[in-house]
Amino acid sequence: MIEEMEPAPKNSEYDLYFGPAHPGSGNFGVKLKIDGEKVVSARADPGYLHRGFEKLMEYRTPLQNAVLSDRLCVLEPLNWNLIHAEAVDELMDIQVPERAKYIRVIMAELSRIQSHIIWYGVFSKGTGFDTGFKMAFGYRDYILDLFELITGGRVYPAGYICPGGVRRDLPDNAKTKILKVLEKMKPMIKLEELENPALNARAKNIGILKLKDAIRLGVTGPILRASGMKIDVRKEEPYEVYDQLDFEIPTRKEGDAYARYYIGIEEMKQSIKIVKQALEKLPKGEVIETSLKKPKLSSKIPEGEVYVRNEIARGEAGIYMVSNGNNTPYRVKVRGPDFLHMIPVLEHLLKGVQIADVPAVYWSLNICPADMDR
Amino acid sequence: MTKKENQLLKEINTKFKTKGRIQREHRIWVTINEKKLTEICKWLKEKGFEHLSAISVTDWLEQKEYELTYHLWSYDDKILITVKTRINRNKPIIESVTSIWGESAQIHERELHELFGVKFKGNKDLLPLFLENWQGPAPFRKDFDWRDYVREEFYDKKNEREKVYYD
Repeated sequence: MIEEMEPAPKNSEYDLYFGPAHPGSGNFGVKLKIDGEKVVSARADPGYLHRGFEKLMEYRTPLQNAVLSDRLCVLEPLNWNLIHAEAVDELMDIQVPERAKYIRVIMAELSRIQSHIIWYGVFSKGTGFDTGFKMAFGYRDYILDLFELITGGRVYPAGYICPGGVRRDLPDNAKTKILKVLEKMKPMIKLEELENPALNARAKNIGILKLKDAIRLGVTGPILRASGMKIDVRKEEPYEVYDQLDFEIPTRKEGDAYARYYIGIEEMKQSIKIVKQALEKLPKGEVIETSLKKPKLSSKIPEGEVYVRNEIARGEAGIYMVSNGNNTPYRVKVRGPDFLHMIPVLEHLLKGVQIADVPAVYWSLNICPADMDR
Repeated sequence: MTKKENQLLKEINTKFKTKGRIQREHRIWVTINEKKLTEICKWLKEKGFEHLSAISVTDWLEQKEYELTYHLWSYDDKILITVKTRINRNKPIIESVTSIWGESAQIHERELHELFGVKFKGNKDLLPLFLENWQGPAPFRKDFDWRDYVREEFYDKKNEREKVYYD
């Protein structure tokens, strides 16, 4: 006897996993509930890169943590190096030499440029423009060559920006090489600025983030600027020597995927401006505080607590560091911008979009699973 | 520049009867009783502290207390206020601030619930974020030694090659 078949479900809802084994998702997954072609709701599934940095740092001295802080984000290790160094500097009350401050800014901005190039690359790939992806990674390599020349590592600088300053001085030919590489970025920016009808169709009016929602969701950095708010930690509370450099904060009002993508291009131009100025003004002198030239593992961190904020390529980064007078920090809290961009913001933006637009929204947020999971 | 900070600190000190301090430009630290936490948070939100930068927990093992820190940023005044409060470490329960800062507070609290085991009253979604099928104690507590845990759970003392981890 044939059993009676179950009646077909009234609605056609089903679950779809975007990631973690998806070519365009990174080490991260989103569980989508879909009705027909439309996303009904999204649930982020983080944790594939959770290494417990905050706990690891409690076991190590600042000298070791400087190297560890590279790994907080694969795409911009130098910016995380910088923020960790700043936290220790403030706790230990170290006066960083002027030259080191300028070198830190130069490295942080170069890192921002290469991170924004990756953003462009993965966004192009997400919207089906593979040539953009390949060109972006090609142009990024010029900057990686610079990193190799200056820090010794192409991707990971191994704690180049360390408490007290930077590990070593710029090589003699660094200035001419940096200027040459910046010149090479021009065709890259020209390519990004091309009006591409295919890209416009896929990015304009997609994933609109209103300013009110953005503030409630804790959005920072380029994503918030694309929704129309003129904020930047570099201007709000200037760290290092940003108050002596002249640059603008690009903003857009639309708040859609295209606006976010465009902010990335504008910021690259500003970063190039900053690096050129910093190279121009670069003073002579020491690059690391004398007492830290040969640091000791046993040196103690004075009791206290600090909260340091920095503007990294993805938004606002923060480190809260507590010390009880030992040689290792008592507690380190790392606040990564993507912790908010990838969980509440992504869940909010994906609601109601078509399946085909999911990658465009996803990559327009300039995501990095590493600093979300930590 | 520190005028704004001074004025704000004065207001807080008189209104909530605390002793806050100014660390430097843009930075104010305030310690408060846990019962007054939501009250001060609501007041600060109305004052313009719209951005909840982070929530953190510090585990003070000797005092048997958890210290919760709320880092709040005001876009208008350009000040970062850190509100600190202490709760019992063995019964970590505290009022949630999701009604004040919405989703951004919700996700920070969800993370801390997983890593420190703090219960936030009023937060509806405290499911684990990072760890899969985690059965052990809250992993970021100071008395949790992950090296011991790994040895117990994943290595075999009798195994010739894994003996070294016990030396």
